[in-house]
Amino acid sequence: MNDVISLVPAPGEGREPGLEDLLVRVARGDETAFERIYDALSAPVFGLVRRVVRDRAQAEEVAQEVMVEVWRTAARFDPGRGSAMSWVLTMAHRRAVDRVRSAQASADRERRAVREEVAYDQVAEAVTTRLEGERVRRCLDGLTELQRQAVTLAYYGGYSYPEVAGLLQTPLGTVKTRMRDGLVRLRDCMGVDR
Amino acid sequence: MIDEIHTLSGAYALNALPLGEREAFEGHLTRCESCDIEVRGLCETAARLALAVAEPPPAAMKSRVLAQISQVRQEPPVVPHPPMEEPVRATVRDNVRPFSRRRQRFTVGIAAVATAAAAVLGVVAVEARQARDTAELQGRTLAGLLAAPDAVVKKVPVTGGGTAVLVSSHASGRVLFASSNLPPIAPTRTYQMWLMDSGEIRSAGLLSGETAVVALARGDDRFGLTVEPAGGSDQPTTTPVLLTRI
Ligand SMILES: [Zn+2]
Repeated sequence: MNDVISLVPAPGEGREPGLEDLLVRVARGDETAFERIYDALSAPVFGLVRRVVRDRAQAEEVAQEVMVEVWRTAARFDPGRGSAMSWVLTMAHRRAVDRVRSAQASADRERRAVREEVAYDQVAEAVTTRLEGERVRRCLDGLTELQRQAVTLAYYGGYSYPEVAGLLQTPLGTVKTRMRDGLVRLRDCMGVDR
Repeated sequence: MIDEIHTLSGAYALNALPLGEREAFEGHLTRCESCDIEVRGLCETAARLALAVAEPPPAAMKSRVLAQISQVRQEPPVVPHPPMEEPVRATVRDNVRPFSRRRQRFTVGIAAVATAAAAVLGVVAVEARQARDTAELQGRTLAGLLAAPDAVVKKVPVTGGGTAVLVSSHASGRVLFASSNLPPIAPTRTYQMWLMDSGEIRSAGLLSGETAVVALARGDDRFGLTVEPAGGSDQPTTTPVLLTRI
């Protein structure tokens, strides 16, 4: 017998079809699909939230809210507009940032900010143990110092760009631009599909 | 000002815009296609930064979340979705009799489709590390593959049990296959690996043990695993127990 196996891609299939399909199922109330999403994404969600929020108990609370929010609002996910992973992690990041921005007086944040200067080193350390992290770190290493600080303070530190500008004592316009060109460079380094 | 607003894409993707500016920029995104496209790529990039700090939450959180969702009403769909096809589906076609086209479709299964679930996630790191441990001889290969700029890591369930981790890089021209707990098969049978490009399937060799490193040719975009009679086959004769994009 001379069989030929061919894959018939579904319409709009991206490079990584799995999570997107699962999330669409979640929107239809599929709890099994949700559990898979949970298994796949709860670690990055929790890790990210924890890095931004710092406090472990609070991070757990926020991460839990995020996962429930994924369930509740899955219908808003549009597979044509990006990956499920990005959708979920964007939500997680917003929640985490909302938490720190509302919870802390700005003076508090200023003080905390001083300690943030080491954020990148901590990150660098944390990621060395992780597979995907090795690549991320290598890509972070490829940024200029200012790009790297702007990106990591915003993303891992949860700071707005005016706050980052204050921390780095750099003009607002420069910080905006460094965030953009830093991310662009990361994107190219990581080979993210556009 | 118009020129300046485009530069906010990075800050937006990092969620670093103060509220008012975020809304203004979202308005801009509905009108500026180039920013819209750029933002998507940058948001995907930002998400990778989260993978780098992935950390499993306490196990109890999962049961709390699952208990909670059973009590939470979901938002109705914004736009009705068309019925979803299985996103990965394989067709076995009898080439010899093109007109009868005896088709036997099979679904790789949603679990296999969840390849992506593992591909980019911190979760897979553990399995990959196990794979790395069990594949001592291939350790150097794995390290090399991981360092490749286009390396993709996938964890794929195997139909019937077990899982496989695939690390592939077209730049390096190789894919590392590492399995665990594959279903035992009769001594008269063997696991055989396959590579597929858009038109052809070719054998990537028999799997002895749990791991293998296979050379990739340009255009290879899928990897499959079937159970074949001992000694292997020229072309697959059974439904793949694993079929994934690489
Ligand atoms: Zn624009």
